[in-house]
Amino acid sequence: MPSNRPLLRIFTQETIVLLMAVVLFAGFAVALDGFTAPANLLNIVRSVSVLGILAAGMGIVVIGRGIDLSMVSIMVVTVAIQLQLLQAGWSLWSATAIVAVITVGLGLMNGFMVAYAGVSALFATLASSAFVFGFVRSQILTQDVIYIPETAGSLLWLGKARLFDLPLDVIVFLAVVLIALVLLRWSRPGRFLYLMGDNFQAARTMGIPVRPLIVASFVASAVLAWLAGIASAVSLQSMNTRLVNSALLYDVVLVVVIGGIGLSGGKGGMRNVVVGALLIGILLNGMTILNLPNIHQNLIKALILLGAIILDGQLNPRDEQTSQQGDI
Amino acid sequence: MTSILQARALTKAFHGNVAVDAVDFDLHAGEVHALLGENGAGKSTFSKLLAGVYPPEGGEILYLGKPLQADGPAEMLRRGIAMVYQETSLVPSMTVAQNLFLGHEKAFNRLRGITIAAQQFLQSLNFTVDPTALVSSLGAAKRQMVEIARAVRLNAKVIIFDEPTATLTPEERRHFFSLINRLRSRGVAIIFITHALEEALQMSDRITVMRDGKRVLTENAGDLTQGRIVQAMVGRELETEFSPRSETRPAGKRVLSVEDVSMGTLVRNTSFSVFAGQVTGLFGLVGSGRTETAKIIAGVFKRDFLRGGAIAYEGRPVRYATPGPAVADGIVYVTEDRKLEGFFENMSIAENLYAGLLAAGLNRFPFVSIAEMKSLAEVWTDKLAIRSIGGEARVVELSGGNQQKVVIGKALIQKPRLIIFDEPTRGVDVGAVAEIHALIQRLADEGLAVVVISSYLPEILALSDRILVARQGRVVEEFSPTDASSEDIMYAAVH
Repeated sequence: MPSNRPLLRIFTQETIVLLMAVVLFAGFAVALDGFTAPANLLNIVRSVSVLGILAAGMGIVVIGRGIDLSMVSIMVVTVAIQLQLLQAGWSLWSATAIVAVITVGLGLMNGFMVAYAGVSALFATLASSAFVFGFVRSQILTQDVIYIPETAGSLLWLGKARLFDLPLDVIVFLAVVLIALVLLRWSRPGRFLYLMGDNFQAARTMGIPVRPLIVASFVASAVLAWLAGIASAVSLQSMNTRLVNSALLYDVVLVVVIGGIGLSGGKGGMRNVVVGALLIGILLNGMTILNLPNIHQNLIKALILLGAIILDGQLNPRDEQTSQQGDI
Repeated sequence: MTSILQARALTKAFHGNVAVDAVDFDLHAGEVHALLGENGAGKSTFSKLLAGVYPPEGGEILYLGKPLQADGPAEMLRRGIAMVYQETSLVPSMTVAQNLFLGHEKAFNRLRGITIAAQQFLQSLNFTVDPTALVSSLGAAKRQMVEIARAVRLNAKVIIFDEPTATLTPEERRHFFSLINRLRSRGVAIIFITHALEEALQMSDRITVMRDGKRVLTENAGDLTQGRIVQAMVGRELETEFSPRSETRPAGKRVLSVEDVSMGTLVRNTSFSVFAGQVTGLFGLVGSGRTETAKIIAGVFKRDFLRGGAIAYEGRPVRYATPGPAVADGIVYVTEDRKLEGFFENMSIAENLYAGLLAAGLNRFPFVSIAEMKSLAEVWTDKLAIRSIGGEARVVELSGGNQQKVVIGKALIQKPRLIIFDEPTRGVDVGAVAEIHALIQRLADEGLAVVVISSYLPEILALSDRILVARQGRVVEEFSPTDASSEDIMYAAVH
């Protein structure tokens, strides 16, 4: 067993990915002009933050041995509705309140489908993603890109606000990671989530309320998706609904898997999200400066994802029992 | 009588445990041969050796007088040895005809063509199965017919059935037996594994009993009685490891009463009571519904909504939808399959034990406390003598006995008032067996209501103050361990 050998114990996926990020950072710093300029470093952190908030939500669901493929859809839809309401003259507070209700409702819907109707998380969220976006885009929204109206001055101000010289979306990402870290580590539901992800049947038999826990994890991921949407909207002054058709969801899964939150559940945490997001952020930024076309960027990301999954299989060998229970 | 299939000193071991130990066996042409034995006696392994599912480690198989190389069930089937499993190997979404010709289709396969061929073939066997029906729409007996028809179509000369009647209704069972008779009249030799003695005596020409991987008896069915078979099944020297009890504890307060509880076909109108300060042993073979009954009590399964019977715990009626509230009320179930539903394999001993405390809501602080976890682990590894290399070891790296102690510790931490042990010493090393038995006795002395489920009779006799015997989904008889013989108990379990 690898974990019995101290030397191998150091090389967990987390440390390997961190090492890769450092090497990549050093490589880009030497090879690319202006990579280490403060403005660009800020760019990296910023590009990571929306991705990171989404990955934190995805991480929570994956730790409980689920997956939420509706996150990008929920992020786009909730913020688009919120901006649309603002344009229609609603006050910021009432629009936010109604969207909060919608967000929690979407999370509950996903959770109930998985926990009570027994649909596999993969299909339930894939379907709800298509349904929610299709319904809202066709029935409620009139255009692809919805801008923050001039009247919502406080939202526009949030986009320019700085705390300790950091833009707000970075602050939100750090806060989310910190809160999620504390809850996962030190709260009872947090610990239950790990137990459920490790062995669902054992968790249920010993009296853990597994089904409410599944619902709660999907509500958390929906709320974080909304938060990520707001962070993205205030910095771009708009919400582009075409995001649903982009590779963003793929990047979120990439961050979670590459960071070392095993898809078989019960492993990893917020540290892995941060490490994974850093690597992907550095990579994306470097590739953008290099002016690589999108297709090549996707190719490189795919290769890295494949490599990470194979490595994960080598470092955390699944035994017969786990593979029978299915890794999603 | 000519032998069609013979085994000479056939041997098979799994991880050093000998499952089949130098078994000699003769199957005559055109006979029905019943194979009997307790759970774990080696019947299934032995018949799988004959069917080529496992390669033997020693000995040889002679088929039609010639040595047979076991190279997989498909090859054996081609030669004429077929095995019919309890879970049938048919494709549910295809029709009967398609299943019959599965793997033997021509390059251009006309549905009409095979349907007609299947119809003619089924008629020649006198089987009343519609060849166009989907297999998923058939009952267990008809599925078995299709499976048998497939074996016959491939010209099987030997058919082995693994507990063919276990899932059948009495009606279907009669159909099955007439089918066996028709096969016999066609000259097919049949081996069938069963737990039902009457069936074996009624149906078969000869009977073989296995015990602990060895063949202990083979005789003509006409010369045997149920009593002799039971004796052969149980007849191990009683018992090197355990001594039966000389006196029993008196019953305390009635903690649990189960009345007329049913769940589907697995548990049927079972009734019994459990008392405080006593060990209640629940004995039964696989398929007797004992685990299911225990899981209903602990809220893991739900009993039937209509006519599901009544359960009273500490005097008030209960119906748990999930295990959570049952644990909160002090009912804890210790699983028979610890890897599947007992422990968290990626976590340490301490984390596993602490999980029990958290799940029962008995933790001192509203948040997760590493200090509390460590002190809890120290107390309980000491109390249960859990041995490991360093406290950080993951549970999956421990020995079977220590894993079981972790699972038991996790249950005891939840402060149960009724604790149910399902096969508490399965896959546990000998030293730990004695420790776990001592622990169970101590719990009863402390006044807990303890239930021990086991299919190992010596264990039941050594632990219990009362013995309940389950058969076919219900508790059928009660014995006192001081004046019941193991033959009596086994007889009640298989009768």
